[in-house]
Formats: sequence, C-alpha cells, structure tokens
Amino acid sequence: MIEQALVFVENLAFVSALRNSTFMYPLVNAGHIFGVALLVGGIVPLDLRLLGLWRHYPVMVFVDVLRVTAALGLAMAVVCGALLFATAASDYAGSQLFQAKMVLVLLGVANALILGRVLRRLDIRSLPMTAVMPVSLRGGALLSLVVWVGVLVLGRLLGYF
Amino acid sequence: MPQLRFIYLLRFAVLAAFLAAPAVQAHHGWAWATDEEFEITGTIQSVRLGNPHGEVTIDVDGEDWVVEVGQPWRNDRAGLSKEMLSEGREITVHGHRSAKEGERLVKAERIVIDGKNHDLYPDRDS
Repeated sequence: MIEQALVFVENLAFVSALRNSTFMYPLVNAGHIFGVALLVGGIVPLDLRLLGLWRHYPVMVFVDVLRVTAALGLAMAVVCGALLFATAASDYAGSQLFQAKMVLVLLGVANALILGRVLRRLDIRSLPMTAVMPVSLRGGALLSLVVWVGVLVLGRLLGYF
Repeated sequence: MPQLRFIYLLRFAVLAAFLAAPAVQAHHGWAWATDEEFEITGTIQSVRLGNPHGEVTIDVDGEDWVVEVGQPWRNDRAGLSKEMLSEGREITVHGHRSAKEGERLVKAERIVIDGKNHDLYPDRDS
C-alpha cells in the first residue's frame, strides 16, 4: 500500500521530468540548500543568543528577525526537499538515515513551536537587556541547536550511504 | 576592532584556499573508488536512470554488480539511450571500482555496448 503510493509518486509526470532534467534537478537541489542555509544560518545565532552569547544586543532583535528568516528557510527546504524526495521516493523512504532525519525535523519544528509559546508567555521583552534567559528557554535553544545541526548532517550523509 | 579581525580571517581563508588548490588538482580519481583502472562485463538485470546519477545492476557470473552511470545529460552526450541500458543487454564497463573491501560497485567512465564505445568522461583516460 505504502510502496504503491511511493511508486505512484515517482511516476507522476512532473516528477519523472524532474528526475530526467538537465537543469531543474540541480536548481531544486540548490533551492533545498538555500533553504537549509537560511534555516540553520538563522537558528544558530538565535539559539546562541538565548543561551547567553551577545548579551549586549537586545534579544528581541534576534528573535524577531531570525525566527522569520529561519521559518522561510524551513518552508523552502521542505518544498524543494519534497520534490527531491519524490524523484526516488521508495529509496528515500526505506533509508534509515532519511527516516531519522524526518524524525529530527518533526522534533525541531515541535520544539520551535513550543519555544515560540514560551517566549510569549515569559514576556522576555520586558527582561533587562543582559539578563540570563529562563532555563526553559535555554534548554529549548540547546535542543534546537543540536536538532537542526543534526538534520543538516543527516541530510548530507544521505547522499553518501 | 571587529572589522580588522574580519579582514585577517578573510586573508587567512584566501591563503588557505591557494595552498589547498594544488592538492585538490593532483587528485584525479573518484573519492570513494580505487585509482586503478577496472573493467567488467555483465548482463543488465535492472536499471534506474535519472538524477543525480543512474544505476545499472549487471550480472557477472552470478554476482550482482552495481554500475554508476551518468546523470541524464552525460548519458545523452555519450550516446547511451534508455533502450541500450535495458534488461538483458550485455555491457562492458571501464572505470573504477569501490575502494571498500567486498563492495561490488563501479563508477563507469566508458561503456562498451555491441562493440561501440560510449565515453561518459571524454577528458579522462579510461
């Protein structure tokens, strides 16, 4: 049943066209990397600020800007990634590296959503500028850092194993 | 002064890149394969063509070998069509085998079908 669905996806006309294309496949690949770059490039400084680096810069500058760019990057990575997945759906679905990567992505998204709620509830906007962040935020930031770097590493390993 | 430090980092990066360049150029093989020329002949069992590269499984005396062929444009340029790389065809592969002990995987540089050469990497010796 699942196997049939995966083969059906692989055989969709636009997926076949992408698999056999000259320029579209590398361009979609570039889009995926661009998305990951935006995502990780936003998440790392944001998490480091929450963990206590750059405490002389207002935390909300990091939160308000980098959360948006990271979310945009995630959206782009998901869309392009889904297209890449479709070109070899059965192979990817059967790969343990891919499965582990998807679990980490879901964990990362869930953690980010929870962190967003905690940020609002704790009203960190009104904390003094150099204040140490509450422990729940620091924990979430550390988890986020580990998870998203893990996603990046697993994604790259996927191409080689 | 952070700007000054950034310039130093940049200079260091450029210098490192120049130092590393000859080492990269000196390497001619495929990272995961042996440098030795390799040749193998077999009958095609199954094929998966497309990006990022095609995979052709051939039967060689009862053992399955996986042959990595090119991405679509490279196969086209070498004159390799879907029909030529289909089940039951006999092909001879010139290239490099995996450096991993016991792994039956070949990176194809040139493929011979019906006595005709199909060069995937015309700039390489194969």
